[in-house]
Amino acid sequence: MISFIVRRFLLALATTWAISVMSFVIIQLPPGDFVDAYIARLSSTGSSVSMEEAQAMRNLYGLDQPYYVQYAKWIARVIVGDFGESMEWQRPVAEVLGDRLWITVVVSFAALLLTWALALPIGIYSAVRQYSFGDYAFTLIGFIGLAVPNFLLALILLYAAFRWFGLNVGGLFSAEYELAPWSWAKVGDLMWHLPLPALILALAGTAQLIRIMRANLLDELRRPYVVTARAKGLSESRVILKYPVRAALNPFASALAYLFPYLVSGSIIVSLVLSLPTVGPVLLRALIAQDMYLAGTIVLLLGVLTVIGTFISDLILMWIDPRIRHQVDA
Amino acid sequence: MFKHCNYWVLARAVSLSLLAGLGATAALAQTGSSLSQSGLVGKLEGAELISDPAAVPKQFKEAPQLAELVKQGKLPPVQDRIPQEPLVIKPVKEIGKYGGTWRRGFTGPGDVENGNRINASDKLLFWDYTGTKIVPSVAKAVEMSGDGKVYTIRLRKGMKWSDGAAFTADDFVFWFEDLYSNKDIVPTPIADMRINGKPGKVVKVDETTVQFVFEDPYFLFYDMLAGDTLIGGGQSVRQAQGFTFGAYSPKHYLKQFLPKYSSEAEVNDRAKKEGYDNWVKLLHFKKDWSLNPELPTLGPWRTTRPVNTPTWVMERNPYYYAVDTSGQQLPYIDRIVMQLAEDTEILNLRAIAGEYDLQERHIDLGKLPVIIENQKKGNYTVRLDTAQNGSDTTLQINQSFKADPEIAKWLTNADFRRALSLGIDRDQLNETFWLGVGTPGSAVPGEDSPYFPGAEWRKKWSTFDLAKANQMLDSIGLAKKDSEGFRVRTDNGERLRIQIQAVKAFVPWPAHGEMIAQQWRKIGIWAEAKEMERNLAFTRTRNNEHHIHVWTNGGTEILYLFPRHAIPVDPTEAFMGPEFAVWYASGGKQGRKPDDPNLLKIFELYDSAGSQKEQERIKIAHEIWKIMVEQQYGIGTVGQSPALMGVRIASNKLGNIPSRVCIAQHCRTPGGSHPETWFFKD
Amino acid sequence: MTRIGRQWWRLFRRASQKGAEAEDRIAVATQLQLTWWRFRKHKLAVMSLFVVILFYLVAVFADFLAYADPEASDARRGYIPPQSIHWFDSDGSFRPYVHGLLGVRDLRTFKLVYRVDESRKVYIQFFAEGYPYYLFGLFPTNRHLLGFDNSKPENGLFLLGTDVQGRDVWSRLMVATRVSLSIGLAGVTISLFLGVLFGGISGLYGGIIDTAIQRMIEIVRSIPTIPLWMGLAAALPNTWSSAQVYFAITIIISLIGWTDLARVVRGRFLSLREEDFVVAAELMGASRMRIIFRHMLPSFMSHVIAAISLALPAMIISETALSFLGLGLRPPAISWGILLQDAQNIQTLAVAPWLLVAAVPVIIVILAFNFLGDGLRDAADPYG
Repeated sequence: MISFIVRRFLLALATTWAISVMSFVIIQLPPGDFVDAYIARLSSTGSSVSMEEAQAMRNLYGLDQPYYVQYAKWIARVIVGDFGESMEWQRPVAEVLGDRLWITVVVSFAALLLTWALALPIGIYSAVRQYSFGDYAFTLIGFIGLAVPNFLLALILLYAAFRWFGLNVGGLFSAEYELAPWSWAKVGDLMWHLPLPALILALAGTAQLIRIMRANLLDELRRPYVVTARAKGLSESRVILKYPVRAALNPFASALAYLFPYLVSGSIIVSLVLSLPTVGPVLLRALIAQDMYLAGTIVLLLGVLTVIGTFISDLILMWIDPRIRHQVDA
Repeated sequence: MFKHCNYWVLARAVSLSLLAGLGATAALAQTGSSLSQSGLVGKLEGAELISDPAAVPKQFKEAPQLAELVKQGKLPPVQDRIPQEPLVIKPVKEIGKYGGTWRRGFTGPGDVENGNRINASDKLLFWDYTGTKIVPSVAKAVEMSGDGKVYTIRLRKGMKWSDGAAFTADDFVFWFEDLYSNKDIVPTPIADMRINGKPGKVVKVDETTVQFVFEDPYFLFYDMLAGDTLIGGGQSVRQAQGFTFGAYSPKHYLKQFLPKYSSEAEVNDRAKKEGYDNWVKLLHFKKDWSLNPELPTLGPWRTTRPVNTPTWVMERNPYYYAVDTSGQQLPYIDRIVMQLAEDTEILNLRAIAGEYDLQERHIDLGKLPVIIENQKKGNYTVRLDTAQNGSDTTLQINQSFKADPEIAKWLTNADFRRALSLGIDRDQLNETFWLGVGTPGSAVPGEDSPYFPGAEWRKKWSTFDLAKANQMLDSIGLAKKDSEGFRVRTDNGERLRIQIQAVKAFVPWPAHGEMIAQQWRKIGIWAEAKEMERNLAFTRTRNNEHHIHVWTNGGTEILYLFPRHAIPVDPTEAFMGPEFAVWYASGGKQGRKPDDPNLLKIFELYDSAGSQKEQERIKIAHEIWKIMVEQQYGIGTVGQSPALMGVRIASNKLGNIPSRVCIAQHCRTPGGSHPETWFFKD
Repeated sequence: MTRIGRQWWRLFRRASQKGAEAEDRIAVATQLQLTWWRFRKHKLAVMSLFVVILFYLVAVFADFLAYADPEASDARRGYIPPQSIHWFDSDGSFRPYVHGLLGVRDLRTFKLVYRVDESRKVYIQFFAEGYPYYLFGLFPTNRHLLGFDNSKPENGLFLLGTDVQGRDVWSRLMVATRVSLSIGLAGVTISLFLGVLFGGISGLYGGIIDTAIQRMIEIVRSIPTIPLWMGLAAALPNTWSSAQVYFAITIIISLIGWTDLARVVRGRFLSLREEDFVVAAELMGASRMRIIFRHMLPSFMSHVIAAISLALPAMIISETALSFLGLGLRPPAISWGILLQDAQNIQTLAVAPWLLVAAVPVIIVILAFNFLGDGLRDAADPYG
């Protein structure tokens, strides 16, 4: 078994390296470079960049070297933990990301919490009262969240909040708290801004979870031990909640690993619309501006997280299911 | 049986008749009257810059918090902080009072121009509020010698940097000798500092006088100093982002980062300690006013929290060199706080919600009805300022295209271009996208600009005349059409396909391109409007791959300061002929010389202008514009509109807000309306 | 005792006969019939099936159902709100009509204001003449389901209003349905092919090939989709026509979908490999191909179908998301994503909210496909 783990680990490393190459390739795919993007952007807002300035910038950022040289330099630095500097933000990548990473975690966590809070009860109810009106109704509501394009919903809710309640719910902090040091009032401000983004982000995942929960629970409820429990006189709620629900939760554990990369990718557009200071919009802007180090680092980070996630979930599966363990040893 | 003529007739009938409108309306009221009827466009007005020493007040006052610091002994008294001959600004409406925080929106570290323009009064010369007269700003006076070779800049005695150090001619010499001439910092010298290929130099005369000396007459240099050029742009905009131009630089602060004043090893060491590869990179960071709060500047506000954070904060400069007519040191407003918006939709929404005190940047003209609707709720007033440039949407036709000889043949055919221009229904475009407030016509600058070549040139080749367009296309050899009514190529009989490439920017160009392509169907031209990524589009134009590129011609109001959107002289953006721009810029060594005699004439005229006096230059510009309109290299559609920074949302709490301001590149909106004179009325 | 016993015996026989009949029916029913019977129980799924079929009919007959040229713009018809249809004429007969409109831009509010001109009636005609098109792409015609008398230039029909350029929303919606649904279909087909191919090879051969393919899948899944799309979309040559770009976009979208299907197929193959009936078939000398297609495939076919019908909504959402980012289809092509793009701004919400109707078919189709997929999966599951 140890040899299996070691083998998987080495494979994970190889995969990570492959991802780094792919990340770099993807970033460089669009023609032109950061300076081109910069010129274009400035020109489109009524300002100008001269030839001399463009050349100066290219020199400054080392953009006139061949791609493999740029890649080699980048990966050599990444390995020692130096993620380079963002050309657009003129700050180290680690700083730019650091600011945003914890906010992304907070928002993702809130979305996750909301998803579970909504999906679990609905899923259980649907499984227990299969084919009933309630089943259909709740499933429908849950699925509406999946079906409505979330960026449109975000804008609509934003505008509705402004139009009918005079509220401004964009961003995560009100203007006056943005600069203020941390205080309970600031936390309160954050809490007040959090529900809308969390809700919109949670909606899509809710439907998925409901469906999985329902299917798993249905499977469990048909098992003999449930019949036994009922026959032995356990109350209905205990019968359902004590064992089947827990068993049905198993796949969630492994799904958790994929959560973070999924949330970052999935929330890019909504974050843009709601102006949330998360990693998503930064990634998008870095890609458009061809801000190589920043974009490359984020893509690499997401890729690595997924690889780690798969690795961990494989380990968990192996631990849970003895059959797989034996198969592996054989 | 289905016949193609049926489609043709039907299409023409339906479309032509749709053009007749939905019954009796005044929907196509002339733009002039529609704008004036709206009540949103005011009279051009602004603060007046007075450099007459007699007008300087005897007593000076300052902001309360500065007075406090003076009492504590942390700041010298106000009369010692401002120059002995300060700039006197007469506010447009009234004397203001101190205090307040100006809330504004920006879109990220790439949006430094947002702050640069507010600080535009750190230029030596500036334009007055009409955008037509040059007035001194940082400089007390700039004198040009009779032969145009020597420019004498008289500085203000006693003027100081924002940290209290003296601002003298030494700062100019320092810039020229230690920064600009250092190949490590500035690899290529700039064209602004050269005339006829010969570089100029900077000479110190005394503490408050410095001269720019050229070998040949260079009359244009005066305008260059005043305009948004590399040399005249001012320290804030021209020394950020790794550039090192702008004529002067704080010697006392920056010299510590140069090897000349210590040693190469020492500065490199210092750079590494602060996380930079070498001293050049550290220097570029240190002289960037938007990133380095310690950098001394001359503008009304200085950065206290950098631009690469979620909130860009600027606070008043206690040593600012201007006062109002009652002696109060400007600016009135204490702070500017810019809030980051990841997306311009949300920026617009915040503006509509009244969360900004003054915002003209990134405001979308298409949202005008919503903006007007919410004025009371948001406690603001919206005003429309029309720009000076002739065309927000110009179809720049690539004259150096060569990938497809057949297409190249037609793109370089003047009658083809004229026919295309006549086939555009500008009124429709104006109504749909500019809400009727633009001016349809050719690409020449606005009527109130001295560079306007004459009334006939607005409409020449720039009206809507389907019959003439069709007839012209028939006569040049494109009479043959395919089964669906589109003109075919002369080489292989297939349909002639023209590509219009458009980028989605502050104006929705792809939508314009779509509409124009639709309109051209009626003259039998099949055009495809392709929406592209900005960088992709620019890369393509640089590689000479495009047929037609849609862009604004903003900046061409004063042709010589920013010609590239009108004529292909700068390879960075040469939509009308990238290869010709390379040929011109390299002095004939690279690129390709144009065959078209009209283009050659334009280059010739442009070359000759630099050494001419202003009146001559303006006449030459007229000639160039006339050729441009006659040849239709850049087809103008609708311009002189508020589309770019012309929709101004101003909180009702602010005073001294002009009812109309100049929108042009050299006006540095909103710098030209002097934000340092705005105040909170309370 | 025997009498009671005989009564019980008769009951039992009748019951078992019924049971036997039912069992007989089940015993001889094909897998397809079994699946269908189970599917029918899920009411929502059946309803969804009809909805999906309806949508694809709309896609096929898109031009017929439209009545105005989806690309014809006219500034004077910008932002017209949906018109109210009057079903009965003044004399009581069933002749639906709409009123004419007079439009003018209010120079105070800058909105385009449309006054209903009650004196003018524009009658809705059926099977009327309109703009020309090719039915099924083959037969040129100009007949549409709805139309109006377009001899007078002021007449117009705007059932769902117009957009900012004056283009009729209903007609654009019809054409958009065709484009969006076919992208989904094309993309899913490609995903299906790739998924079955790689999943099958992986599951069947196992060993190193399996590991290699699994790692490749992992790499593909690890790459965040948006950068991948951006890179690929930007790398497309710009000389390509809209049709070619459209095709390329479907390929790009399907590149994400196939990994899930591959894993499912692989899982199925791995478990089925050990099944008795497969071993039996092998022992009986059946060729590999025959085993796969005749014996193994039917077992998981229904799972594959269910997976596809769940992948389709993902395709459609991807298309709308790509359009939002400006990467997918671009104007002048018309798709749901592009229509939603037009609606994704404040002026639409404030001044022209009818443009949001483009979201309705998106929501309905996604819901329908999801329920359909659920139903299929429930039905296909032999342990359900």
